[in-house]
Amino acid sequence: MTQTPSAIPPAPTTPASAADGTAPPDAAPTIAVRKSCNPDGIGLSHYVLMDRKAAR
Amino acid sequence: MSSPLIPVDIGHATYAAVTDPATAFWALVDKTRLTETLSGGALLERYRDQADAFARELHALRFGLTPSGVYLNPTERCNLDCTYCYLPGAQRSGGRHMPGETLNASLAALRDYFATSMGRDGAAGGRKPRAIFHGAEPLMNRDAVFAAIDDFADDFAFGVQTNGTLLDDAAIDFLTARNVSIGLSLDGPVAGITDATRRTWGGKSVHDKVLAAMAKLRGYGSWSVITTCTQENLPWLTEMVELFHAHEVPTCMLNTVRCTLPGARGVKPADGGMARAFFAALDRTHALYRESGRKLLVANFANILLAILAPTARRLMCDISPCGGGRAFFALAADGSLYPCSEFIGLPRFNGGKLLEDGVDAALASAAFRPVVTRDVDTFEPCASCAIRHFCGSPCPAEAHEMNGGMARTGAFCDFYKAQVNYALRLIADGKADDYLWDGWDDGTETTFHWQ
Repeated sequence: MTQTPSAIPPAPTTPASAADGTAPPDAAPTIAVRKSCNPDGIGLSHYVLMDRKAAR
Repeated sequence: MSSPLIPVDIGHATYAAVTDPATAFWALVDKTRLTETLSGGALLERYRDQADAFARELHALRFGLTPSGVYLNPTERCNLDCTYCYLPGAQRSGGRHMPGETLNASLAALRDYFATSMGRDGAAGGRKPRAIFHGAEPLMNRDAVFAAIDDFADDFAFGVQTNGTLLDDAAIDFLTARNVSIGLSLDGPVAGITDATRRTWGGKSVHDKVLAAMAKLRGYGSWSVITTCTQENLPWLTEMVELFHAHEVPTCMLNTVRCTLPGARGVKPADGGMARAFFAALDRTHALYRESGRKLLVANFANILLAILAPTARRLMCDISPCGGGRAFFALAADGSLYPCSEFIGLPRFNGGKLLEDGVDAALASAAFRPVVTRDVDTFEPCASCAIRHFCGSPCPAEAHEMNGGMARTGAFCDFYKAQVNYALRLIADGKADDYLWDGWDDGTETTFHWQ
């Protein structure tokens, strides 16, 4: 796993090359992101506190 | 080997989605390359390498949690008679308060329970259990609630969800001085719209009182406003978010009306109309953010984005199957009974027993809780074959049971949830998702898959 401080990486402005197996040069780049953390949500439709830090 | 990925048309000019519903994995691919992506290649190979880990993560989220929050109903009474309330009118008009001594005894029992389930120091990350005073209207029993907040200040992180009509200066000073998170409710940008669904038993407007409370809370760090979306206010959702942004509301929810009790179904909007009005309001929040640099978070939509980007970072536990009721949290009714969620308090068959007589563990294991905590979208159609079932969770079990005839049925807004997921995926494709989430939303997360 790789720790990344940034949010969702912006899509590249130039297509990835076919050589690295992602997509041919004339195709829009594939996007796939998944992040993970210790789950601690307890909100429901009648109440929410979104910010995880504020929930401490 | 067949591909686990399913194509999803998200309505984007360039991109389609592929998902593995079993793990909530997704990718956005050029529509012209969809066939190649599904048939094999580096993306699929890398996903196969991590599929088991994603399946374990999702399974732990869906079946491995222990409660870390409680919704406390300190009274059955409410000074309002809202059209869509999920609590029976007879309770709200003539019900009882929980005595202060009982409330304190209940919090002591809950403190001991959470010390076991979470660990004395908060095994889940050094956090306190959350205790949310909830409706009916908790400030109808204000003295007991405020005494409990002081008596158990070291044991719980408190919140109050209130209609706002009893939130006078003294109450706001008390709550904000103790960093209690505060939720309000308002259904219209003007009194005539709010009054259509939220008014006193005598039919009086409460719109201006809620606006006054919002004005007093401006600048406080931890407050939000819920709008319940009905046929009455659907054309006004854009004006609603403009009002919230102007009042510097940090977070709102634009919730579909919960159709648990019959009164709510009379004002239920159709899915298509709900989607159009909701997305127009979301678009307006984005324009306001770009103009002002200040976000108005629409929490129920942000939670859909989180379900896609970081499933374990969800804040709301309605949009997952099984839902959070009886798993991540439970509810204590004013008569001392435990329910999976406040949404079930009007439905006696879901009463899991008395806190002070039977305890939390007995309720969690009870036959009353079992249908809720085992409701699994993998096991019934149309959810079982739906590509986005673990971004949505088919909420809510209470309305599925009461409105649609059983736990193995969808909730009230299936098509609206599909539209939300497509909208969220289009935002990700366009690089705009962060604009709809709070700054630093992924602090403390790890990136487990990153492809571009």
